[in-house]
Amino acid sequence: MIMTHPGLPYEWAIIICLLMIILIVLALRTSSIYEPRQYSINLVELPVIGPLIKFLTFNSWPLFILKLIVVLLFLFVITAGLFGSPIAERNLATVLTWNLWWTGVIVSVFFLGSAWCAICPWDTIAGWLIRRRLWYRTSSNNSLNLKLPKRLRNIYPALFLLVGLTWLELGFGFTINPYMTAFLGLLIMLLAIFSLAIYENKPFCRFFCPIGRTIGFYSQLAVVELRPIDTDICANCTTLECYYGTETIEPCPTRLVMGRLKQNTYCTSCGNCVQSCSKKNIAWRMRPPTREIAQDARSHWDEAWFMLILLGITSFHGVTMMPFFEKVLSKLGYMINDSGSLLLTFSILLFISLLISLLVYIFFIWLTKILSISPISFKKLFSGFAFTALPLAFVYHLAHNLNHLVRENDGIGQIILNPLGIEAEPLSMMEKHARHTEILLNQDLIFLLQSSLIVFGFWVSLKIIQNRGISLIKINGRYLLPMIMFSVLITGIHLWLLTQPMIMRM
Amino acid sequence: MNIKKMNLIRIFFLTLFCSSAQGHHVLGRPSYSLNEDSTTPPSMQVEVQVGEYYITYMVFPAFPSPNQPGRVNLYASRIDNGEPFQGQVIFKVRDNNWLNKREEVLGIQAVDDNVFRQGFEFQEAGNYIIRAEFESDSESYQIDFPLRIGDASVFGPIGVTVSLIALLLITVNLLQRKKLINAKISPKYRYKDKSL
Repeated sequence: MIMTHPGLPYEWAIIICLLMIILIVLALRTSSIYEPRQYSINLVELPVIGPLIKFLTFNSWPLFILKLIVVLLFLFVITAGLFGSPIAERNLATVLTWNLWWTGVIVSVFFLGSAWCAICPWDTIAGWLIRRRLWYRTSSNNSLNLKLPKRLRNIYPALFLLVGLTWLELGFGFTINPYMTAFLGLLIMLLAIFSLAIYENKPFCRFFCPIGRTIGFYSQLAVVELRPIDTDICANCTTLECYYGTETIEPCPTRLVMGRLKQNTYCTSCGNCVQSCSKKNIAWRMRPPTREIAQDARSHWDEAWFMLILLGITSFHGVTMMPFFEKVLSKLGYMINDSGSLLLTFSILLFISLLISLLVYIFFIWLTKILSISPISFKKLFSGFAFTALPLAFVYHLAHNLNHLVRENDGIGQIILNPLGIEAEPLSMMEKHARHTEILLNQDLIFLLQSSLIVFGFWVSLKIIQNRGISLIKINGRYLLPMIMFSVLITGIHLWLLTQPMIMRM
Repeated sequence: MNIKKMNLIRIFFLTLFCSSAQGHHVLGRPSYSLNEDSTTPPSMQVEVQVGEYYITYMVFPAFPSPNQPGRVNLYASRIDNGEPFQGQVIFKVRDNNWLNKREEVLGIQAVDDNVFRQGFEFQEAGNYIIRAEFESDSESYQIDFPLRIGDASVFGPIGVTVSLIALLLITVNLLQRKKLINAKISPKYRYKDKSL
């Protein structure tokens, strides 16, 4: 029996549509607004929260303790996955990984940026084994420190692995298989260890990790950033401790110079720069979530592909959880004579959906180029406007994950009491119904949050279109209609997906 | 475009769209359920689509132990009209490992109330593959399903991971030592040494 979560009521969808129309009219009537850097607040200066952030970031050991806890949890997940019950809803490995962590980490990005990367167990274990120190810098280590080949110094490896992860997650069903969940965790850990043992710096964090890069791109929309307090101090700095590190503090793992940092994408929030800066000029700051993505972030060809594929994957993720998807999969599988769990058919559908999202974007970019009569190259327009995809993907991802997070985490107490699910029986129909009806938040509040997210994402995308339009081709107003139509189309598809009932994962 | 590239593309499209003429060979994905209204034990269930048929395979109990009798129920119905398969199904079993490919026939079952029921009792714990074979419209169907008896050994992934890490650390260490020795006997190093 398939259990589904109710979709967003149509009244809510109508309200969202009305708000979208108002936002479009406003966007067409107003020009872009530049947000100065002064709008940021230094979090360390705030009461209560300030001292806590200072304590966590200016010392090495609080972060070490957090890392240790996460590593122990990770090892526990591996143990539960390999030695525990194969029943997904009774095993800590699947429940913690897919229901809590994978859904929660995306929600955390908005408030904490890439904070997860700072305590990531894969990088921590790799660091401990290769650097041979629990914390502080060490001169001797177990790395060959080779230079990463030039062809790998881009975001494509992470993009390839992200598509692979989606394929394993949705196509192969890793989310309902504790053993495979543990296996995947070990595989990513091996990738982190091997890349650190062979290459200099941390290529796993910067170029390979699909989770880190997804978090990195989404964190362009975070309300926090790690930046210089006074940019003039960084401009006159000659020692660059953030880049080179000190005798005791490691350099930036992704080789960022804080004085020149404009975007969160590659920052792993490790805090090395905070500790190494001799002028104590780096701090966590609170900022408007639109500033970086709408005006500060620079566009790159490979990053544009990542953002667009991320949008395609996010939408496809939602489609696979619709009750009609199984029928489509089955019919197509029958047509092409596919067998078993229809992996080939699933792969074709994944490929088609990614291709469609790319073609749609390319079509609207082409329209913009024709309308603007600008000499700018197609490649520059493609890269520059790709930021539009990011808030649309992020808000749908959040709205979708909200369902998993608040509707599928009942019974977590039983998992804590019996993490390996020893002797546990599968969920009875009564338990399934109880889990289906017992939700952590009021249903109307969930709908309100989902609706607000969709409107917010649409508003941010309009802001990006306005600002990028001015900076790229010096156009505004009706000339940007093709890109606005792109945003409307994607938001419309996501809104429709949210109004549909969604299949409960486990 | 060179011939190698063209061949690769041809292989890709052949892999995508080719249809197996003789038989179908699959491995499904298991799920577990419990019916509290009956005395039936918890079951493991796999649903797959093979050629012209939807196949549902259930194992009772979900986690059979060595020397414990169990049962496999197999349902096969046509995709186009839902009509159940009425022929015979041969059930075979083999170890789920790469080295041992020896199969044993568990039994040949005729349909009973649209279900093919096959009993089993294994003496040794481990991971097995149950294969159900039948013929329909002159096409042979082979469907493989996993079956775990008792607590199977799961040291494989941990053993492989630990071995790989150990091998990597030793290799890197040896390469570093070699690099260090090379550096020591290089003229640049000797020059430095004299200056001290």
